[in-house]
Amino acid sequence: MTTDSPRRVVPQPDELTQPFWDAVAEGRLMAQRCQQCGFYSHPPRIICNECHSFDLKWEPVSGKGKLYSYEVMHMQSITGFEDRVPYRTVLVELDEQPKLLFLGYLPGADDGSLTLGMPMEVFFEKIEGTDQTLPQFRPAK
Amino acid sequence: MVWEGKGKTAVVGIGLSKLTRRPEAPLGALALDACRAAIEDAGLKPEDIDGICTYPDQPFAGAGRRDGEDLVNALFLMNHGGLAPDIKWYAQISTGMIASAPIEGVNALISGAAKYVLFWRAMHIPKGTYNSFRSYSAGGDGQFGAVYGHVHGYQTHAIAYRHYLNKYHQNREKMAALVTNSRRNANLNPGAFFYNQPMSVEDYLNARMIAEPMCLFDCDVPIEGCTAIVMTTADRAKDLKNKPAYIAGYGQNTAHRPEYLTYMVDSYLDAGRPHVGKIYERAGMGPKDIDVAELYDGFAPSTLYWLEAAGFCGEGEALDFVQNGNVSLEGSLPVNTFGGSLSEGRLHGMGHLAEAVRQVTDRADKRQIKDANTAIAIDGSPLLRGSGMIFTREP
Repeated sequence: MTTDSPRRVVPQPDELTQPFWDAVAEGRLMAQRCQQCGFYSHPPRIICNECHSFDLKWEPVSGKGKLYSYEVMHMQSITGFEDRVPYRTVLVELDEQPKLLFLGYLPGADDGSLTLGMPMEVFFEKIEGTDQTLPQFRPAK
Repeated sequence: MVWEGKGKTAVVGIGLSKLTRRPEAPLGALALDACRAAIEDAGLKPEDIDGICTYPDQPFAGAGRRDGEDLVNALFLMNHGGLAPDIKWYAQISTGMIASAPIEGVNALISGAAKYVLFWRAMHIPKGTYNSFRSYSAGGDGQFGAVYGHVHGYQTHAIAYRHYLNKYHQNREKMAALVTNSRRNANLNPGAFFYNQPMSVEDYLNARMIAEPMCLFDCDVPIEGCTAIVMTTADRAKDLKNKPAYIAGYGQNTAHRPEYLTYMVDSYLDAGRPHVGKIYERAGMGPKDIDVAELYDGFAPSTLYWLEAAGFCGEGEALDFVQNGNVSLEGSLPVNTFGGSLSEGRLHGMGHLAEAVRQVTDRADKRQIKDANTAIAIDGSPLLRGSGMIFTREP
């Protein structure tokens, strides 16, 4: 990536999501978990999608999962990503729970290296030129 | 049990504005054109309209909300439509999709709240790159999407579509049959944006990619324009000039709504079957009773999901079902006979609704399916949201 690449989009945390980003800054991945039924929610919510309890807390998750699916983006329609097309966005289903899905960004066009269902793992990317860290996913080593 | 409202209401007028990529007038003017045309088509006067409903959604998240420019609210027609001075009933719907507004119109007519209901959907095309994201920071759920260069509905649909193709061992090349069939139908629809432009299978296969595995022609064509319909009770419909298109049943997607960011991408049948099931149940019908199917195609894969959810073919079989002319005007189940959103223009399902009405009232001109007694129109996607209706020739 050249140094004159445009800035990337950074998250704007709010009261609900701040603990997620605080953990990411320390290299840890967390998800909200219902303290009544154990159901994970992501993106974070104020109520459990499963048992409707409001008793949700942040808990560590493994960052290991499977590639649910992905797309290859060709449109120059997102600020900071115009000069990066084509790139891939991946949807990873964590091992903790069916449909516990996280998105990630993988640079580059489809090179045949991704297969649906393949094991994936989290890594932490510091966005160049910022203090921001993002959780990302890549094929597991 | 068949719904007691079956056949009690009907669509009696249709009106379209010009559908254009380069609007010369504000959206509000196009909405008034469409509404006046629908009222005139019904043989009514504007002041006869005493009930109004609309689904005034933005064309995409982040677009503006100025009434008459970005969208056309109920108030706009109340203020500027020259309708009955004292409107008896109105509704402005934001759940389900566009048919959720006329569904409320049906309920209002049956309850006696209004005599003649006008429904419209106006769609804006903002200047600049359609559906672009222009911010260096992302709040809300965008914290978990936009930061990865993932913002647009078409990206999520592409992810879902790849999952579908992989799960059922299908390939995207087969989609050419459905998309070129819709274009062929649009070439018979003078109101369609692509009326004068044919599309070959090669054109489809050579189209540039938007979000793989979806190409340009898997996405509907954004336009500015409006479609309107007039509805009334079956009793009043008998005295009007058009053949009525009776409303046999309706339904909405009531699945526990998956997270927008990461649709539960393989749950389209779990969500879609109960939705279409409610339409069938109210109408006392099943897939074998349907002569024409207008199935939403804001993104082409949605039509596949609806074909399966509505029981026209089995799970994972839709790409085979659409081959060999099976969904053409001459086929066993004509689909998107007007060209769909893909080739008529992006009206969020209004085109589907209007064409279903035309087909059961012999008003579809060169696209007319002989003896079309029933037509289903479904909008949205079973991945996310939607609503729909069955129209019949007889009450």
